[in-house]
Amino acid sequence: MAARGRCPECGSGSLVEDAHYAQQQLVCAACGCVLSEGLLTTTYTDEEHLREVAYSQSTGQKEQQSRCLQRGTRRVQDLCKVLQLPAAFEETAVSYLQRALQLPAFHLASLEKKELLGGCCVFVTCRQRNWPLTMGTVCSLLYARQELFASVYLSLQRELGLSVPALSLADLVTTHLNSFRLFQRTADVPTPFLEDKEQLLARTMGLVELASETWLVTGRHPVPIVTAAAFLAWQSLQPGPRLSCPLARFCRLAGVDLPPPAHLRLKELLEILLGMASQLSWLRSFNLDRRTVVKHIGDLLQHRVFLLRNAFSQQHEDEQQDTTPGQDCPGQGSGSPSPPPVALQQGRPLAGRGQHAGTLRPLLPPCLIHPRKRPRAAAPSAAAVALTGDEPISDSEIEQYLRSPEEIRAFRKAKGWP
Amino acid sequence: FKDDFSTSPHLFTPMSPYDLELPIQTASQLREPKELCTDFSSVDLSFLPDVTQDNKEQNLSEDGHEMQKELDGSLPTKEDSGGFMDESSLSHPGAAQPSPEAPGVCPPLTPMTPMTPATSASESSGIVPQLQNIVSTVNLACKLDLKNIALHARNAEYNPKRFAAVIMRIRQPRTTALIFSSGKMVCTGAKSEEQSRLAARKYARVVQKLGFPAKFLDFKIQNMVGSCDVRFPIRLEGLVLTHQQFSSYEPELFPGLVYRMVKPRIVLLIFVSGKVVLTGAKDRSEIYEAFENIYPILKGFKKPS
Repeated sequence: MAARGRCPECGSGSLVEDAHYAQQQLVCAACGCVLSEGLLTTTYTDEEHLREVAYSQSTGQKEQQSRCLQRGTRRVQDLCKVLQLPAAFEETAVSYLQRALQLPAFHLASLEKKELLGGCCVFVTCRQRNWPLTMGTVCSLLYARQELFASVYLSLQRELGLSVPALSLADLVTTHLNSFRLFQRTADVPTPFLEDKEQLLARTMGLVELASETWLVTGRHPVPIVTAAAFLAWQSLQPGPRLSCPLARFCRLAGVDLPPPAHLRLKELLEILLGMASQLSWLRSFNLDRRTVVKHIGDLLQHRVFLLRNAFSQQHEDEQQDTTPGQDCPGQGSGSPSPPPVALQQGRPLAGRGQHAGTLRPLLPPCLIHPRKRPRAAAPSAAAVALTGDEPISDSEIEQYLRSPEEIRAFRKAKGWP
Repeated sequence: FKDDFSTSPHLFTPMSPYDLELPIQTASQLREPKELCTDFSSVDLSFLPDVTQDNKEQNLSEDGHEMQKELDGSLPTKEDSGGFMDESSLSHPGAAQPSPEAPGVCPPLTPMTPMTPATSASESSGIVPQLQNIVSTVNLACKLDLKNIALHARNAEYNPKRFAAVIMRIRQPRTTALIFSSGKMVCTGAKSEEQSRLAARKYARVVQKLGFPAKFLDFKIQNMVGSCDVRFPIRLEGLVLTHQQFSSYEPELFPGLVYRMVKPRIVLLIFVSGKVVLTGAKDRSEIYEAFENIYPILKGFKKPS
């Protein structure tokens, strides 16, 4: 039986598969060179190129279905136990696993991926029941690379046709804060750093909601936002001793990892808070900076709705917000939580708000406020656009891509070819 | 065992499970009517019904910026027949002319579907997705010696241990080709169908000059990628709630929302900044149609919550 490929020795294409004492070998019919022999396992594509594959990357499709299912089920059970999930979750996850392994897309996947399949099923189950579980957590429990986990997860979603609702940020806050070790006395947490869980939770929620309204959450990884919000909330509950504690130390004390984007999220949140503080009448006289504004987070959150409206320009024409006449009302120092009456002006010309909007930062996602400069692609010139695709091609143009004989000689020499 | 929701730093690199190389334009996508027309002049308009006098007047009075709604999938496929209309002229024998214009000035495009009422045309977005990448394949119909090609061509790279094809690039049009030993070739990076075809022909010519009897069979556009900007931020969390059956939004994996449109079968990547990437089209009309379908949906999420 002829196989594809060329013999490395003589270049002949006539390769035959032959068995030598029941060991499969690929032999060149012309010169007798043995190309490969006795490969244990290969992936499908690599078999064509006669390359050997590490066992973990092989498909293991010769493995029995039941063994694979058993391993996966055990993995699911362990995960559910570790995460302390309700019993019903385990059944659902196992049923997904069984369905998945019937499909060739998973049955023939590499063993590496099959290891992650159990974790993916658990993850999908949790998300469907609104149990806040992040991919990061599952990956760390499985010791998996997130790219691989992502690809298995996406193909699981596609093959089984599962609809997975979005992660609820509010639930994530609750569970994430549970892992913070700031609520009980321990050796390395000083007393002024201890905090009441309910209070911290409530304030963190408020900050996360604020972040969500001000476009800091969309498109971003959720956990750093929660970490940054928790930090600010914690600082603001007892600013005195805590203002001097940096984010890194806070995370170390709390016993959580510090995700790198958390610093950026912190900066962005503080910027928003500073903007809001500028609209709060009794804070106008203070020259707040990023540290001192933390002391007033409680007030800022309380009057969040009103402050957001006034601190940032809403850019939409049909928006019914009017800020100019209402701007001085809070200055009259009522300080009451109720927002001043908003004049509904539908047909308000933008020009009238122009002077106002100019001083205010627009409420936009940070990627729009600080766009990274990109080199603009040159607009297609008239000549380029008028192409038919059938233009004549000049020889000189093609010849510029061919090597001259001297170059070829030099290249050959450099490569060590005869 | 305590619940541990900590995540390690290396897990935060944003991943794109979609292997697209797309420069996303920040420039406005709004074009002059002239540009618009030349973009579409490759379209075969001969199937149009005759435009009556009433229609003509109505169309001429409409905003010259609207157009794509009209292009539906009934355009002829651009197979190796090479039957492109000459880009420079819009006069197609037998087709209805919207209006006699001075040469060089493009007439506003007529709506091609007679059922389209006048009102819906005015709701069209006025934004034209710009094509960013075209992937096409062609069969050179001869076995190739890749080592030989890599030796004799300046613009070729060949690393058989990494990938079993020669990677060749040309400067004009700026494209990359993967040339396989079977004689099949993939051409990527062109910004229009004609550019892709021209580039593929140039690669074939290079291979010919290297001494192989290369032909140019079964040229086919396999994928087209377009991008545009709706100019307002989008609440992706809201979009995934209302269009759950089509959308997938995993901020842990990718910052954009993946919207799989059923008709036309296009995948859209929608970002919070309002930039939209459309891919999976075999014909540019699909891209335009997909964008016109998604625009009203996105407009619904324009207001901040």
